[in-house]
Amino acid sequence: MSPRSAVVLSEVRKSFPAGDGGNLEVLNVEHLALSAASCTVLRGRSGSGKTTLLNLIAGIVLPSAGTIEVEDTDLFALSEARRDRFRAEHIGYVFQSFNLLAAFSALENVMLAMLFAEVIPQRLQRQRAGELLAQLGLAARLAHKPQHLSRGEQQRVAIARALANNPPIILADEPCASLDAATAREVMAAFLAVCRQDGKTLLLVSHEQAALGDADQIIDMAELNRAETGKATTATVRQ
Amino acid sequence: MTILTVAIKYLRGRLLASVLTTVSIALGVGLVIASILVSRGIKEGFVAGATDYNLVVGAKGSPTQLVLAVVFRMDIATPNIEYTVYEELKDDPRIDVAVPVMVGDAYQGFRYVATNSAYFAVFPWRRRMYSLSSGRFFRDDPVDSPAYEAVLGAEAAGGTGLRLGDRFYEGEEMADHPLTVVGILRPTHSADDRAIFISLSSFWGMNELAHGMVIKPLTAVLVRPKRLSDITGLHRERNVAAETQAVLPSGVLLTIFNMMAVAQEALNMILVIVGVIVLIYVFVAMYSATLERRREIATMRALGARRATVLAIVLVESGTLAVAGGIGGILAGHAAAYLAAAMLAARSGLVSQPFQFDAVQPAVLAIVILLGALAGLLPAVLAYRTEVAENLAPLS
Repeated sequence: MSPRSAVVLSEVRKSFPAGDGGNLEVLNVEHLALSAASCTVLRGRSGSGKTTLLNLIAGIVLPSAGTIEVEDTDLFALSEARRDRFRAEHIGYVFQSFNLLAAFSALENVMLAMLFAEVIPQRLQRQRAGELLAQLGLAARLAHKPQHLSRGEQQRVAIARALANNPPIILADEPCASLDAATAREVMAAFLAVCRQDGKTLLLVSHEQAALGDADQIIDMAELNRAETGKATTATVRQ
Repeated sequence: MTILTVAIKYLRGRLLASVLTTVSIALGVGLVIASILVSRGIKEGFVAGATDYNLVVGAKGSPTQLVLAVVFRMDIATPNIEYTVYEELKDDPRIDVAVPVMVGDAYQGFRYVATNSAYFAVFPWRRRMYSLSSGRFFRDDPVDSPAYEAVLGAEAAGGTGLRLGDRFYEGEEMADHPLTVVGILRPTHSADDRAIFISLSSFWGMNELAHGMVIKPLTAVLVRPKRLSDITGLHRERNVAAETQAVLPSGVLLTIFNMMAVAQEALNMILVIVGVIVLIYVFVAMYSATLERRREIATMRALGARRATVLAIVLVESGTLAVAGGIGGILAGHAAAYLAAAMLAARSGLVSQPFQFDAVQPAVLAIVILLGALAGLLPAVLAYRTEVAENLAPLS
């Protein structure tokens, strides 16, 4: 019996308006399926559509065509408000630039994600945020603001925030790209361990050896993205 | 964590800007509240302090000056009239009560008011009642043997520290004939609270001793006719006379209120301009704060915050600033009105009650919150419309 697919993309295209009045197709994916509780690593050169693919799966940008199913839900059949709620409950997102909120402490940054999903009861939110941060080695940094944390610590907070609502799917866009090699190895190891331990479906944009070595599936954008390989069918040819 | 706590976190995150915005709102609201309370207090002070008498007869000159000097003790006294004017009025069959009044110098800032016992008498038509908290009223002593007795208004007693039986005088020449405190009045919430009442004989005696002045002058005579229909006749007669004028205090009050209304209109225009400036300041503060954190707003949206949620966060922020500024402004406005009332009372004798909580305060607060939300609306819409993917591009 084949494993259940947590994410399925079918004939997904994404175009952006071009300066000449036409459209610039940046993504054209015929089919992509991510097995539940698997770790998939996306590779590709800069501008190959990796972040766009992650944003589409997160429901942050709308596809120009095609369907995206996440946890058996057609993401774009939902209204925007319901899609936001769905994202809060089912998808954790780790950004390359961490994107922590400067006015909030490490603990509050993690708790903030819980405000939008409302799956963790309010009385348990502080405790859960503390536990997640402790799991990532930040038990002594709960009250620290992002500017008082090292870059590695900031990214750990961002990872804890992505895990806050216990979502089944984690999207991570080069989470260690702005870290030095040693810190990147350390953070990536902790990240993969937590995801594996909790059975998350992980889609990771990374060139880290640790990630590549631990991946169940490695996808090269040059092969996945037909727009990238010149098979685009739209009027405007990508420059 | 709630939307309110997120909003407050953001406000605390830019503490200086938040404090400055709150202070600017508070200053604007304080100005409005103080202006409302002071102008209302002055009006009510004039009404409460107004005399129960229908006519004030004094020397020719400004009617407003006469009423302000005799009734409110605010302006410098008009020239004197002769005591015979009082005697004529007292004997006039159309007149029910005539009370002579002489406004003199001051003792420690509290004016001497010389009169007779009729000033304190109870009449059925009187609104203001004089009662003593201690002692007795002075006697209507004969002109040739003044008793030098004084009755102090409540504030005058407090301000001078004089008690029953105390003797006081001003000027060495009066050392042999000091005034003796024989009574202290209960508060009347009028200029009388700041007066030192003495008999006319005592006043004339003091002047004769101090200045060698032998004439017996008066500042004015308060007149109550038996019939209201006689007011017009008395008014005309006294105005036709060469030395005197008769003034209707209610007419002077109306003139004062009309002058105040013109000043109030000008003040209202200034307050509207202040309000608009504060509104623009709040808007600019909120707008720039929202622009600065579009990345954070995009992050929240990526974490699952709905557009309505980020809109609400910005609105709650501006609303919180408005509530804090509004409450601060109401308190500051009351403090300013209190100081203004104390200053007015000390300098002019006009007693006003600035602390009156009624519909004004909640109405002002509601308007401030509404305007605060309005100022935050466009920044909130900016937050609402923030494009997530565009604002999440990795930092270089």
